[in-house]
Amino acid sequence: MATVSLRHIVKIYPNSGETKKHKITNLKVTEEGVLAVQDFNLEIADQEFIVLVGPSGCGKSTTLRMVAGLEEISKGELYIDDKLMNDVAPKDRDIAMVFQNYALYPHMTVRQNMEFPLKLRKVPKDEIDRAVDQAAEVLGITQYLDRKPKALSGGQRQRVAIGRAIVREPKVLLMDEPLSNLDAKLRNQMRAEIIKLRQRIHATFIYVTHDQTEAMTLGDRIVIMKDGVIQQIGTPQEVYDSPVNMFVAGFIGVPQMNFYDGNLIKSASGKYSVVVDGAEIELSAEKQKNLTDHKVPEQAVTVGVRPEHITLKEVPGKMIKGTVDVSELMGSSVHLHINACGKDGVIIVPTLDLKGNKTFTMGSPIEFTFGGDVAHVFAKESGKNLEFSNDTVQE
Amino acid sequence: MKSSQRSKTTLSVVLGIICIIYVLPMVVVVLNSFKLNTYVKTDTFAIPTGEMWAGFSNFTKGMTFGNYPFAASAGYSVLITVVSTALILLFTSMAAWFIARVDDKVSRIVYYLCVFSMVVPFQMVMFTLSKTADTLKLNTPWTIPVVYLGFGAGLAIFMFVGFVKSIPLEIEEAAAIDGAGPVKTFFLVVLPMLKPTLISVGILEIMWVWNDYLLPYLVLDRTKYMTIPIHIQFLKGSYGTVDLGATMALILLSIIPVIVFYLLCQKHIIKGVAAGAVKG
Repeated sequence: MATVSLRHIVKIYPNSGETKKHKITNLKVTEEGVLAVQDFNLEIADQEFIVLVGPSGCGKSTTLRMVAGLEEISKGELYIDDKLMNDVAPKDRDIAMVFQNYALYPHMTVRQNMEFPLKLRKVPKDEIDRAVDQAAEVLGITQYLDRKPKALSGGQRQRVAIGRAIVREPKVLLMDEPLSNLDAKLRNQMRAEIIKLRQRIHATFIYVTHDQTEAMTLGDRIVIMKDGVIQQIGTPQEVYDSPVNMFVAGFIGVPQMNFYDGNLIKSASGKYSVVVDGAEIELSAEKQKNLTDHKVPEQAVTVGVRPEHITLKEVPGKMIKGTVDVSELMGSSVHLHINACGKDGVIIVPTLDLKGNKTFTMGSPIEFTFGGDVAHVFAKESGKNLEFSNDTVQE
Repeated sequence: MKSSQRSKTTLSVVLGIICIIYVLPMVVVVLNSFKLNTYVKTDTFAIPTGEMWAGFSNFTKGMTFGNYPFAASAGYSVLITVVSTALILLFTSMAAWFIARVDDKVSRIVYYLCVFSMVVPFQMVMFTLSKTADTLKLNTPWTIPVVYLGFGAGLAIFMFVGFVKSIPLEIEEAAAIDGAGPVKTFFLVVLPMLKPTLISVGILEIMWVWNDYLLPYLVLDRTKYMTIPIHIQFLKGSYGTVDLGATMALILLSIIPVIVFYLLCQKHIIKGVAAGAVKG
């Protein structure tokens, strides 16, 4: 049970040999070194589940490791329960961590692995036994307690790693891509387990992943990062509905949001519309208001629409033309990979809507449209969502 | 199919011959240690039967020869071997952990110095070393392990560093978060994981120290302390006469512990050699 505050946290790797490691990313390089994390600000409430998400090299793991005390904080302050933690050793922060590659002690049995943190804290033997048995019960690993980690499968090992982390009831539970080493089926299963686990233990969770599905399903709030900079912080619904820029819009949601070149125009009555491929679509009242509030002028823009928000229903004068590249039947829906306005994109069509009488062969023409409530309008240059352009993005 | 079988047979024969060549000297030692001295030179490869059979007289002769008790030599050999190996294992594994985990200039220099020490032949430094050892009073069986530590460190650190680098750092980080400081992390987490390398380094060092002749010969005060190899050398008479039967008997005695030890640890030696080659 703890609040965690990250205030103006910066991580700089000095410009020596370390620089080579970060060459592949677009991290900012200053005279001091490579800026792996820039001015990270986040207030985490007690028992909140925060997910840090972003592509590899975006600084999410570095941030987590700074909270854990495994990386030094170059600048800024970290508070756990209002206590400054910058110079406190990892073991004294009352945190636990689950690593991507499990990091179990190979020479110890499952029981010994789970006992280890308690033994080091000199907890009485009977209490240790009780805690371990209880954690094993919760995670369903009771029958493996006497095995060594190498005799366990990946999913079981990850359970043990989680068990080792929860036995001592830490204030903050850190998870660094804990499901990345598991196959798809196990990952889904473990994701559900983590959701259940959350109900049982009263810790604050900080979870790092590059998988947007995990982020959306697990997090109370999601922190989306890119190149060491926070792009957006919000609930899954917020970041899905109101992405602040094209990066967030493209990163959250599967399949990815479609982007088309278009124009933002303002009618004589002051109503905003977007024009894509000759189709003029008037934006919804809420979007009108946001754009009006920010006094957004007419301009060439990038229009973003999620695949699931595109419809094939005929609306005269508002249809955009394209051609079908590939049609994938997913069961409940069909994913149509199309090319329109010179850009590749995806449309999700519910199978029911097709009623089986329409097939899409490669190269066949297609017409589609979208509503004014689901169109996102991004500035051409900066990629920022014009609805929020006096913005939440940190420079 | 046929040709592969033939090549297998050929290989077996060749390896068999090589094996015999390797084992033969040891067989000769065993045979001659039970042979009367006069027959050792004339019937070197003969099986000791009838008049050649000396029983255990060579052993008793060798052990009681001269005025230095063989038991003392054996005792000093054991002492030096055990203490040296223990020192080497403890200190070099710790040093290697540091070198592998602290990637700065100093640790890199120390590492290269250790590796470099492996290519410097002992003969190059032996006189300066024995002089230094004398000055520092490292010339007793209780202190000579320090000299062995210096000489054994190169290979041991080289092997340990390679293995430590193959251990994922996250395990140590997990230990740090679980509440272990550096000392506990090393002894409770890192050292047990080093077991395969500890065993293979241990075996190499034990065999080297146990069989070593030159270093104790140069450093130890021979009037007071002898090891088994030195004791054997002293079986040579003052005019170059050698009781070969007794020599063979003592050589046999000195190699038995090593062979027994090797057989006991064979499984681990193979594991240790393979360790680090593949991700464990």
